[in-house]
Amino acid sequence: MAHALIPADVRSRLKDLRLTARRAIGAQGIGLHHSRSRGAGLEFAQYRAYEPGDELRQIDWKLYARSDRFFVREAERESPLTVWTVLDATASMDQADGAHGSRFDAARGLAACIAELALRQGDRFGLLALHGDGVRLVPPGHGARQCDRMLLALHGLRAHGGFPAPDKLAPVWERIGAGDLAIALSDWFDEAMPALAERLASARREVLAIQLLTTGERDFPFAGGHRFRDPETGEELLGDGAALRNDYLRRFAEAHRALDARLDACGIRHARHYLDQPLDLPLRRLFGARDAAEYA
Amino acid sequence: MSLALLLPAGLAALGALLLPLLLHLARRSEQRPTVFAALRWLRQAPKPRHRLRFDEWPLLLLRLLLLALLALWLARPVLSGGEDGEPYVAVAPGVAPELARRHAAEGARLHWLAPGFPALDHPVAIGGAGIGSLLRQLDSELPSGTALTVVVPQVLQGADAQRPRLARDVHWVVVDGAMPATTAPAPGFAPVLRHDGEQADGLRYLRAAMRAWTPAGATPDIAPLAEPLPASARQLLWLAPTALPAQVQAWVREGGVALLDARTPWPAQAAAMPVWYGDEGGPLVESMAFGRGRLLRFTRPLQPAEVPALAEADFPRRLRALLAESAEPARVAAVDYAPHTGAAPWTQRPRDLQPWLALLIALLVLAERWLATRRARGPAP
Repeated sequence: MAHALIPADVRSRLKDLRLTARRAIGAQGIGLHHSRSRGAGLEFAQYRAYEPGDELRQIDWKLYARSDRFFVREAERESPLTVWTVLDATASMDQADGAHGSRFDAARGLAACIAELALRQGDRFGLLALHGDGVRLVPPGHGARQCDRMLLALHGLRAHGGFPAPDKLAPVWERIGAGDLAIALSDWFDEAMPALAERLASARREVLAIQLLTTGERDFPFAGGHRFRDPETGEELLGDGAALRNDYLRRFAEAHRALDARLDACGIRHARHYLDQPLDLPLRRLFGARDAAEYA
Repeated sequence: MSLALLLPAGLAALGALLLPLLLHLARRSEQRPTVFAALRWLRQAPKPRHRLRFDEWPLLLLRLLLLALLALWLARPVLSGGEDGEPYVAVAPGVAPELARRHAAEGARLHWLAPGFPALDHPVAIGGAGIGSLLRQLDSELPSGTALTVVVPQVLQGADAQRPRLARDVHWVVVDGAMPATTAPAPGFAPVLRHDGEQADGLRYLRAAMRAWTPAGATPDIAPLAEPLPASARQLLWLAPTALPAQVQAWVREGGVALLDARTPWPAQAAAMPVWYGDEGGPLVESMAFGRGRLLRFTRPLQPAEVPALAEADFPRRLRALLAESAEPARVAAVDYAPHTGAAPWTQRPRDLQPWLALLIALLVLAERWLATRRARGPAP
């Protein structure tokens, strides 16, 4: 199922990407959150031969009874980092963009990429999808099973409705803990989305923003008369594409600048993704090679 | 050459020109729905610019033209004038064509002065309408500016009693030659009497008249009604209260003359004209045309008390004058028959443009359909 969401070339390029969180570094006193580092924990990782110095309680005595040799049971240490994907699933995300699929397809692909990366790093990851009925929650967890749960939830999601009312957003506040990494995938058109991101960021959650835009919104290739309809409010506007184009592009660029300034002001890293670009590009911008080297 | 409209009210149909204009203004492409989530940045236009814009100019122009032509068609346009003013030479039959060509100017049209006005190259049929009638027809049909030359032989046949009066000056050329005499059958007088019985009123008077008309040695054809008419009969005296049988009516239509009794009903509803007045002033005999023939009828019973003329000595002669057909003189010296001028000019019958317009409209309809239904065409009216 993951293959349906992540194109093969994107999957191959994900190898040199790592999800990094600035605040997670050293937060729990262990150092870098190397998810592959083994140690005490709940999840079984591997057996290894006993070496002098190992604690006796770590020896698997049942295995010793079968094989007459000492083996130490190693568990994978729990990662200190939880990666949340906050997925905007309102109707505006469902806008199609010709051959590039819909905006929501790209968002789901990105969410799958994030899950893939988190799985590889051993981080806990979860999903919060915001749509007209409220919030769809996949509780955080780690491991391959969690990845499957996440993909299953992604496949079942349909973008519809408007942004959920503030009283339905309780899971967002309850679940995303301090120091967690929250990656918000949205078009950022609705005023509620940057407001939510600002509140999360001011509450010491590390928020990353990815804005997904269609090529139609970037280039405005419409000529002749059109009846433009807002999928969320249902508002309609009759207009001539060529006549509207210049004003629209100017105002749209202004809106981008305003959004960028707003996100920068609260320390939210952000990237803009157009649907005709490869899916890993926004991740690469956010978690670039420079940041990844820090963790190596 | 001038264009005129016989029914200018038809131009009111030009109001239909609004139809395609509205059709092309109500642009259906305006309705093309587009989902656009970034509408809030689109909407902030101060005012949606509203200007008239037409879709598909060629189709619109074609439709406007089509409707304008339809309105013009309804207005029944005619084109007057514009006929060619080449000189016209009419040659009377009997003139040698070479002789006529000598008198014709360069580029002139040469035609026989005969019914249908065939070209000089074609053979001409003798007979038919008289030469005066043909001249008047030619004068009325030719445009007023066309010079007319008539080449005639020295003696004309088929002329009527009056010198023709035409609207234009005619160049009247008399050349050698003789017009062939029209071989019209000499009108004969061959009366036949049919009666319904010996006791019929007036039979004795008509019988006496028949005997008076018949040359010595011959017997007049006097018989009851059932007796068929001989082929040579030209006049019929019908002395019976019954209507004319169908075959006798057909015979009259073919050119016969029938004199009916006062009791016989007219076979057709038409106005009858008195042709013989009695001495006291009242009409004695009425006449009406019937096919190519004539019908005459006594207005009173044939009794001397009613018709005193019956008893007169000259009754057969006067009756014969009524029944017989006389040939009118139709031969005239061409010099004396040169037409007068001074008649009111005929207005030329203008050329009707409706059929040509209809053809043009049909072509335009085809073109419009092709333009409107061709494949490379967006969603539009």
